[in-house]
Amino acid sequence: MKPTLALRLLACVGYLVLLSPAALVLLISFSAGDFLTFPPPGFSTRWYVALAGNSVLMSALGTSAILAAVVAVVALLVGGPAAYAIARLEFPGRGVLAALLTAPLLLPTLVLGLALLLVLQPLGLAATWPGLVLGHCLVAIPFAVRIMTTAFAGVPKELEAAAWTLGATPFQAALRITLPNAAPGAIAAGVLTFLVSFDETVISLFLVGPRLTTLPVEMFRYAEHTTDPLIAALAMTLIAFAALMVLLVERLMGFSNAMGRE
Amino acid sequence: MSRSSPHLRLEQLVRHYAGAAAPAVDRISLDLPRGALLALLGPSGCGKTTTLRMIAGLEKPESGRILVGGRDVTALPPHKRHMGVVFQSYALFPHMTSVGNVAFGLEMQGVARAERGPRALAALELVGLSGFAQRKPRQLSGGQQQRVALARALAIEPDLLLLDEPLSALDAKLREGVRDEIRALQQRLGTTAVFVTHDQTEALAMADLVAVMNAGKVEQLAAPEEIFERPATRFVATFVGRAARIQGRLEAGGVLRTEGGAALRTHSSLAAGPVEAFLRPHRVRLLAPGEAAPTGMANVLDATLARRVYTGEIVALEANTPAGVITAELHAGTDGLWRELQPGSPMRLAFRDTDLLVFPAP
Repeated sequence: MKPTLALRLLACVGYLVLLSPAALVLLISFSAGDFLTFPPPGFSTRWYVALAGNSVLMSALGTSAILAAVVAVVALLVGGPAAYAIARLEFPGRGVLAALLTAPLLLPTLVLGLALLLVLQPLGLAATWPGLVLGHCLVAIPFAVRIMTTAFAGVPKELEAAAWTLGATPFQAALRITLPNAAPGAIAAGVLTFLVSFDETVISLFLVGPRLTTLPVEMFRYAEHTTDPLIAALAMTLIAFAALMVLLVERLMGFSNAMGRE
Repeated sequence: MSRSSPHLRLEQLVRHYAGAAAPAVDRISLDLPRGALLALLGPSGCGKTTTLRMIAGLEKPESGRILVGGRDVTALPPHKRHMGVVFQSYALFPHMTSVGNVAFGLEMQGVARAERGPRALAALELVGLSGFAQRKPRQLSGGQQQRVALARALAIEPDLLLLDEPLSALDAKLREGVRDEIRALQQRLGTTAVFVTHDQTEALAMADLVAVMNAGKVEQLAAPEEIFERPATRFVATFVGRAARIQGRLEAGGVLRTEGGAALRTHSSLAAGPVEAFLRPHRVRLLAPGEAAPTGMANVLDATLARRVYTGEIVALEANTPAGVITAELHAGTDGLWRELQPGSPMRLAFRDTDLLVFPAP
């Protein structure tokens, strides 16, 4: 069915509403002025130059990128086997496990962050790498489990059965047959958990310290005190980065495919 | 193991599914000699696929034993059974090429790396697919995928080849060719095989032995001719081949008397009482006017033609008789008598006493 003119118009308006904040930030990021104002008094790239020279934000960016990569790997390593168990194995308490693994998604991150601080502070883990990884994994793992459960469930069981009859042990069959066929899901889960960690603000607010801080937290603090377009330049950089990752996945395998949609 | 002992033996296999009142497989026992091909034939839900999956180790029987070459494999997981399985969906590994699929099995069997390639290619050549070794499954037609699945199962030189409705996903046109190829290959390699089908023609054409199954039980285990000509039960008579049903009472001397007043001779040794007899259409002869019944054709019925269905090679005459509606199938080319007949025409039909398959009325 061809979309009618009205439907197209509606779609255009929808996109306009969705994209206009980003467009606004894009324009402001190239502002020549000293303040976050619209319309900008003129255009320049001075705020991008200033951003590259801001050591606090740049070091926070490095921390966030490394943290997100570590979280993505941990989430895949923990979430992958858990997802396989939920999708494929019959055992008592399977439903409970599935519910427990997705529970953190239902809690407000504010509650999670506070709880983590209360637990990690006495252990001396607040404002440390392990503490941050743990906190982020708590929200990243449910995403990984969800996506990978769908991915594993989408691989026909007969494939594994065929591998068994050919002499593969259940472990070999899972690793050599099911996992490669669930790879698009694993990559999607990796990208998504990376972005979840990279964007995570609320939990980080509780867990960062003066020597270890993440980019969203620093952005938040910066925007509290300063009102220059530097923050817009940073936002655009992050958007470009996220878009680049999506593009990369799209190039590798088709993004919609990776997200488990046909 | 003695030479005469069966290669595959099922002993009293039982399997229930949770929530089902009747067992899916109910005390199935059978023996299969080495090198033979057994067809498990039955309607859907009769337990044939469950039986096959239990032999493969993909499902566990609640009780009973499975022996292969005299060895009890009941407790073994599938990867230790060394059986080649061709799944209904073929279950080819989508991320591997044809040759990769076949080589995977060889690798799992511990075949040395250098040997795998040549052996996998040889297996593909066996099924006529040597030119498609580097194709992924999605680049192959249904028939080609089926052959890769067969090559993969055969390459490991299995103790037993198991096929689950191997032809059901193929076009009707392809089916006959593939059917004959599988049979030829199985005979050439001498592989003992079990295959599941709901298609009686497939079972009769391919198998050395046919087990007709119904409601979790084997109704009859016999050679194809035996199944068709001498069905052991009413179910087998109706499920395999077509037949007209004649209801009546069996009297002394094996005479079947119908409500319409016909008295038919049978070979039945059943006790007197209500019975049901089945008569295959190809057994019924059409007599010319005034023609005496040929020797041995003890039964002659006066009939009226109700319907004539011409399908080229065969013409089916549906006739009303004192024994009910009886269908006669004639070779349209060789037997010209039918051309004179129109609906309503009187006619005479003849058949042997042994052609009536008599069972107690249900």
